[in-house]
Amino acid sequence: MIMSQLERLDYLISYMQKEKDITVTVPENFDAAFEVFRGLANERPADAVTDEFIEIQDAFLKEYNAEDVTDAGLLTEAADQLYLWQGDITTLKADAIVNAANPDMLGCLIPNHDCIDNIIHTKAGVELRLECARIMEAQGRKEAVGRAKITSGYNLTADHVLHTVGPYVRDGKVSPMKADLLKKCYTSCLKLADQQGLKNIVFCSISTGVFGFPKEAAAKIAVDTVEEYLNNANSELEVIFNVFDDEDLNIYRKHLI
Amino acid sequence: MKKLANYLWVEKNGEEYTLIMTPELQDDVGTVGFVEFTENKTVEKDDSLLELEGSKTVLDLTSPLSGEIVAINEKAEDSPELLNSADPQESWVVKLTGVDEADFNALENV
Repeated sequence: MIMSQLERLDYLISYMQKEKDITVTVPENFDAAFEVFRGLANERPADAVTDEFIEIQDAFLKEYNAEDVTDAGLLTEAADQLYLWQGDITTLKADAIVNAANPDMLGCLIPNHDCIDNIIHTKAGVELRLECARIMEAQGRKEAVGRAKITSGYNLTADHVLHTVGPYVRDGKVSPMKADLLKKCYTSCLKLADQQGLKNIVFCSISTGVFGFPKEAAAKIAVDTVEEYLNNANSELEVIFNVFDDEDLNIYRKHLI
Repeated sequence: MKKLANYLWVEKNGEEYTLIMTPELQDDVGTVGFVEFTENKTVEKDDSLLELEGSKTVLDLTSPLSGEIVAINEKAEDSPELLNSADPQESWVVKLTGVDEADFNALENV
């Protein structure tokens, strides 16, 4: 039986509600139903799910994520091997996108929170949190700032997700250590991408969201570090800087000239 | 003689080099709640010395010098907040030997 997208959402919401022992009527409006699904998935701990859940979730997300996809391989270069692209990072088809994670590295647990970690985990599916949980259990401690881990992208249009924890800046005061750590985030991701033989990688503006790193300084570190790495390592990686708003777009444009 | 590298003080006493938390590092990390030292006996420059979880960040602290680890601050494993102390007797991290003196001399002066 082929289910409609709304029927799939209905199934997924009911499944996750049953896990929490709650029952709330699923909205009939698609966007409202999606937000209910998203919130439940965000809060859901890294517990096993049934094969049927995975099958229906994957069918839903594959179709949902197939809308408005941009192929990272078809963008126009801003400079040698460097690209600038404005939009939602989860709509890019690429070898890897970079997620700005937190030290628990299980994805954002706040329902419907408007952060990149949240939307990446939501659109990848519950498998991503399960893989992250396995990685973190094997590591046995929190993820330090400036490193990188790789996972599959699951239902995302990107093949992989690189997870890195950026430095947290209070009151806009960037200490030399925090600047170095942000730099380390970029080099760790680039090294890992090259080790894995990836062709391209999409960076979000690490640390500039809720982590409070000043945007201008962060963009300069991002561009300088990537250029330095590509030159020194003789890397053929294609690097895409993903920005969300116009302010970021203008800042990056300036640094890429 | 004292130098500064990787946000640590490096204090030279004869052949022994003691790495100590700086106030700037302590400020960036916040109150240290957990530490785990490397199990390696020798480290290369920029290898991890210890992982520390502070109230402000989780950090992989790396060695500014290559050498042999001859002592670690074991007390900090049980009482991580010692690393927040202003007293270098309490807030030291590791002691190294077998360090190339030229590498040490090349570090930034305090």
